Amino acid sequence: MDWRLRNDGARLVAMPTGRVDEESWKDFSAHLTSAVREAVAASIPLVIDLSGLDYMTSKGLRALTLAKNEAKGAIMIRLAAPNEAMRRILTISRYNMLFPVDDDVDPAN
Amino acid sequence: MLVRFWGTRGSLPVAQRRDTTLARIARALVAAKGRRFANEAEAAEFACDELDFATYGTYGGATSCVEIVGDEDAFVVCDMGSGLREFGVNATRRCAEGHPRVYHFFLSHLHWDHIMGFPYFRPAYESGVTIMIHTGHLDAEQALRRQQEEISFPVSFDELRARIEFVVHRPGEVFEAAGLRVSLISQTHAHGSFGYRFERLGRTVVYSTDSEHRPDDMDAEGGVEAFFANADLVICDTMYSLGESVSLKQDLGHSSNIVAVDLCQAAAARRLALFHHEPSYSDEDIQRMHDETVRYEKIVRGGRPKLEVICAYDGLEIEV
Repeated sequence: MDWRLRNDGARLVAMPTGRVDEESWKDFSAHLTSAVREAVAASIPLVIDLSGLDYMTSKGLRALTLAKNEAKGAIMIRLAAPNEAMRRILTISRYNMLFPVDDDVDPAN
Repeated sequence: MLVRFWGTRGSLPVAQRRDTTLARIARALVAAKGRRFANEAEAAEFACDELDFATYGTYGGATSCVEIVGDEDAFVVCDMGSGLREFGVNATRRCAEGHPRVYHFFLSHLHWDHIMGFPYFRPAYESGVTIMIHTGHLDAEQALRRQQEEISFPVSFDELRARIEFVVHRPGEVFEAAGLRVSLISQTHAHGSFGYRFERLGRTVVYSTDSEHRPDDMDAEGGVEAFFANADLVICDTMYSLGESVSLKQDLGHSSNIVAVDLCQAAAARRLALFHHEPSYSDEDIQRMHDETVRYEKIVRGGRPKLEVICAYDGLEIEV
């Protein structure tokens, strides 16, 4: 899994690519925690752009929960642009009930 | 080994209601589209072939009780949920045909839904019966005695005529019982719970129910994966969705279908039986959960061999 982060002033956008599984969840979780702290410090929402992810296993999903716990409600964490597999995983896990899921990273689209 | 499920529901026994049965019959009749059947056997064949399980069957409502048939010298039973009553009736019949009257129980823990069947276990009232209760809990005997105190039940534990012995084991200990090589693992649940690994003649069955896998303790899952390693069948607590288990149902001590898949895939297990179904789930809900779990396994399988996902129901038998 690779990880990129950009701050467009109004929000912090995280862009993981590859897959989040038992091999990569720790890196993913560490990056997420760091991003949450950055977003909280700037008081801007964190958007996780899922478009580059093949899929995420339960460990990746639970890392999202840890990130949400880290945020303590101070910022909004949104998921965006999941591929078909990720969309199914979010539905099967009911994580689509825990996080807002947007079709596009750019809300204008 | 043969694994026979006598109770697969979690927390509380449930019973079918009139409306549920009526809806099923109506759905089956509509699906039959006026077709005529010569007899009930032919109609049953149509139902099994053409209808979905939630229409022609039911996952059942008895709480945890699973029989493992291996060595014919003794019965082996995981947990004493309400499914134990029916197992006791069946076992009595088998004993009348010559099966030894020896029972080895393996208790995951002592919550009501896992011990409530024991006061209704007919062989416990018979002299000449031997009952060995294997447990990781020091207070297992206290729990079984307490539920047969007068305030809860009319027949006290001391009036049972079977010879009953409690054997306390420690996690990591490996022991022989009823022709099986057995080990246990400590699990996260209120008052603790234990999973069991049974091995015989190169085959392995794991019974792991009432076990929470928390987001803040994911590092510890390597130990669970090692316990599940190369199992032919893992019977796993899949009571909630992952989303529920980390939010509304957090700390209730249960797992989810997709964590179970991940653990089994990492452990290179061959089959997963979804178990300890949420009592508020209808058969349609459980069937949907099963279908979703199969889809999830396919998505995250990668280059690994297929993990067969089975949804346990009362009466299911699996040859291992």
